[in-house]
Amino acid sequence: MKKVMLLTIFAALMMISSAAVAQTTASGTLTVTATVNGSIQLVFDSDAAGVALSGTGTNTATLAFGNVSAFGAISGGIVRTTTASNFTVSSAVDVKVSKTNSASANYTLTAQLGAADAVNNWTVGGVAVTSAAQSTLTATGAYAADSNFPVAITVPFTTASGTNISNTINYTATAN
Amino acid sequence: MLKTYISMMRGVVLAATLLACGSALAQTTATGVINGVLVNKNGISLQFDTDPAGVTLGAAGTNAATANFGSVSAFGPLSGGVTRPSVTAANFTVRTIFDVQVIQGGLTSTTYTLTANLAAAAPTGLSYKVDAVTLSTASQTIQTTGAYNTDVAHNLDLVISTAAPGAGGPVVGTPITTAINFTATAN
Repeated sequence: MKKVMLLTIFAALMMISSAAVAQTTASGTLTVTATVNGSIQLVFDSDAAGVALSGTGTNTATLAFGNVSAFGAISGGIVRTTTASNFTVSSAVDVKVSKTNSASANYTLTAQLGAADAVNNWTVGGVAVTSAAQSTLTATGAYAADSNFPVAITVPFTTASGTNISNTINYTATAN
Repeated sequence: MLKTYISMMRGVVLAATLLACGSALAQTTATGVINGVLVNKNGISLQFDTDPAGVTLGAAGTNAATANFGSVSAFGPLSGGVTRPSVTAANFTVRTIFDVQVIQGGLTSTTYTLTANLAAAAPTGLSYKVDAVTLSTASQTIQTTGAYNTDVAHNLDLVISTAAPGAGGPVVGTPITTAINFTATAN
């Protein structure tokens, strides 16, 4: 009888003990899901030889030529050429396109003026750019490197002094 | 001893019979008593809750929830509740916030320790962090003094390689799912 009692007490103690241990921890599982997609990014960088951009390192930069003229003083970073009827000012502008999670080897870069300009001629990287359609600047752009695509404006001599020339150029990089 | 027991039992049976007879005779009243016995057991429980700043968890309020980051990329748009704290040439991090609530009852413990581990090895090109602790299949301590009975926010980071698929980067365009096991232990 004694033995039975002892065994019973022992078993009860064991049960209490194991219950106490089990009940001081709690667990849960959080299942995490994500879908990774490839992506590319375009930013403008100031070129060492060109006009310093405001907003450099972003995809919304500003290139300010300042006051320009056919024969007068010109700011640093601007290259000027003059003909009999017009002059052209140009500045180096770097474009950097980065890719992630993509096997694409290169990219195609296009540009288009934001608004029509019937007076001045615009080129980017030597390619005429208008508002009518996208112009292809390169079909084999190298990723993750600054590539210089100079922005140039040709201004006729007939333009009145003090005229402000402003436009936007929209760039699009597409992974090949 | 056995004789005494048998004698007692006879007495009990007799008393019960008499009572039954008396009851049968009276027939106008009947009483009963139910003794409810509750055994208060101590313990703790863990549940995941949606954090206002994070993605909405599936099965929030349970211990088996889901967190869906949706489509993630280094430069593209992200779902609500997902942020992108860093982008480097090598990788980018996307983050959401989730809450863990540990409830205790009957314990003298005032805090708990929270650990976590991946249920399986991380997929290629991904690593997982909770509060900056990189997870593996081995248990990692996330917090040593967790407060009971309140939502405790935790950052969940996915660090994703920018490499292309097949070159060390993750597969793209298909959902990648990983289970993270959490354990709270009363201190």
